[in-house]
Amino acid sequence: MTRGSRISLFLMAAGPLAFFAIFVLWPLAQSMWYSVTKWNGLSDPVFIGLDNFARALSDPNFIRSFENTAIWLVVAVTVPTIVGLLLAVLLDRPLRGSRLYKSAFYLPITLSLVVVGQVWTWIYQPDWGLINSVLTAVGLEDMTRAWLGDPDTALIAVILAWSWQQTALALILYLAALTTVPQDLIEAAAIDGANARQQFTRIIVPLLRPASVVVITLAVINTLKGFDIVFVLTKGGPFHMSSNLAMFMYEETFFKYRLGYGAAIATALFLLAIIVVVVYFRQARASERLYG
Amino acid sequence: MASARGMTSNADDGRGRPLHRSFVLHGFILAMLVIYAAPIIGVILTSVMTNSEIAARGVWHIPESAALQNFADVWNDTPTPRYLVNSFMVTIPATFLSVLGGVMLGYVFSQFKFPFAELLFLVVIAGMFFPPQAMLIPLFRMFNSPMEIFGFQVLPALYDTVYPMILIHMSIGLAITTLLMRNFMSALPSGLREAAIVDGAGEWSVLFRIIVPLSLPALAVLATLQFTWIWNDFLWPLVLTRSEEAKTIMAGISALQGQYNVAWANQAAMAVIASIPTIVIFIAFQRYFIAGLTMGSVKE
Repeated sequence: MTRGSRISLFLMAAGPLAFFAIFVLWPLAQSMWYSVTKWNGLSDPVFIGLDNFARALSDPNFIRSFENTAIWLVVAVTVPTIVGLLLAVLLDRPLRGSRLYKSAFYLPITLSLVVVGQVWTWIYQPDWGLINSVLTAVGLEDMTRAWLGDPDTALIAVILAWSWQQTALALILYLAALTTVPQDLIEAAAIDGANARQQFTRIIVPLLRPASVVVITLAVINTLKGFDIVFVLTKGGPFHMSSNLAMFMYEETFFKYRLGYGAAIATALFLLAIIVVVVYFRQARASERLYG
Repeated sequence: MASARGMTSNADDGRGRPLHRSFVLHGFILAMLVIYAAPIIGVILTSVMTNSEIAARGVWHIPESAALQNFADVWNDTPTPRYLVNSFMVTIPATFLSVLGGVMLGYVFSQFKFPFAELLFLVVIAGMFFPPQAMLIPLFRMFNSPMEIFGFQVLPALYDTVYPMILIHMSIGLAITTLLMRNFMSALPSGLREAAIVDGAGEWSVLFRIIVPLSLPALAVLATLQFTWIWNDFLWPLVLTRSEEAKTIMAGISALQGQYNVAWANQAAMAVIASIPTIVIFIAFQRYFIAGLTMGSVKE
């Protein structure tokens, strides 16, 4: 390779990498440093070791947010996967109007979570929201409530609104993956007498395993990042009942000016994400070997 | 896309599948359609109603008069036009720059082996998974103070302008753009570069005259995805802007939500306006968009 080539290539790589280092990697490293400091954003950060992490473990609001994130994760790995897969298999055949159906399910993924949050306000609104309207219409007025203001329902209401978009994403990914399922495999199974359920559980589900890995990984990552929808719908309230780690981190940092503590929560989120990355790459490698 | 290939049709339909089962399946699809359509229809209905009509009858009925007054009100009485301009000022350059950076990195990573190439590549694409919270506080601080290099101020504090969002989205976006461009360029016929180099071309002209024109499908995918994500982003404008002059449309919606708590009709109109660009992009480039979602996540 010529000297000119080398210089060109170096510049080609160094330019973008410099931006990545300055605006992604360096802030990441700084966050880790701040996570072991006490800092209000004005005076200089003071090193306090792992106190922020110890404090989190005895902070009921952190524990609440952590538990809520765990509940959220359970919904995230089940609902979009199961509903999205079922729907994809049902829509992936010559159904009258299936093109139109698909468009209806595609629309949500183009929307911002800010808009999704707004859209769901129309469902949860206490006076004329869809749920309360329907409940009143069928005579179940006792069950109406302020879904987002009620401590018992706020969290699940937020998670459902989020799942609405996430399931649409899962559906799209599964529909795309279904195009790669070899037709003759299913025909062969049908000739051998496999019924629809057997075809689904023995052939389609195993063949869609790589897609499932992607769907679940995205759901988990989006759960960890999940801030927008909480902020728009409840800001974590009432009484932190619908808070999650991302929301709690924001609250401690920008409402309470505990930047060291906020950085510690952010670092915890980052470590959780790294676990997901490692598992994902191993799974991706494994399925590549399996399916060539 | 999975254009009606009839994957299970030969086994189910026409083989006398029990009628009740078919009912259950279609019922499921219908129920899901309602769940997906209802909130969107609710917003659209609200956006053409008057606030007094909503107060009196709620939103779940045919509007008494389909009026575009709310859109006019939002356009004239709120900073919505400014917000939209800001969103475009962030989204277009950030999309362009992140794709350009991905093209450059993708070329280097796909055509050459060098020490630590694999590791560098992994670090960059792992960026897809980093929660933005993990960069939030340092970037907030960085943009709140003037930027200095060796004690010389090279930039004023960029807080409350659109520039920090461009820099951040462009940098984080490199993860997905590099991944897709490397994969795409690896699949191009090898020897393209060698032939051009033998003819005396430099690396830059190989990349931009030969490789990039062959990569247009991948570029369309990335531009579509990046536009949508950056347009829809909320966290960075929330943290990095304060004034109406710098807010993007998503931050603006959220800010107005607090101010005009009762004006449901106006909120709905604003949500519709804010969603139009991404919906248009999606409809125009649906094929690329879906290909991107799958490629970006499936291939390692």
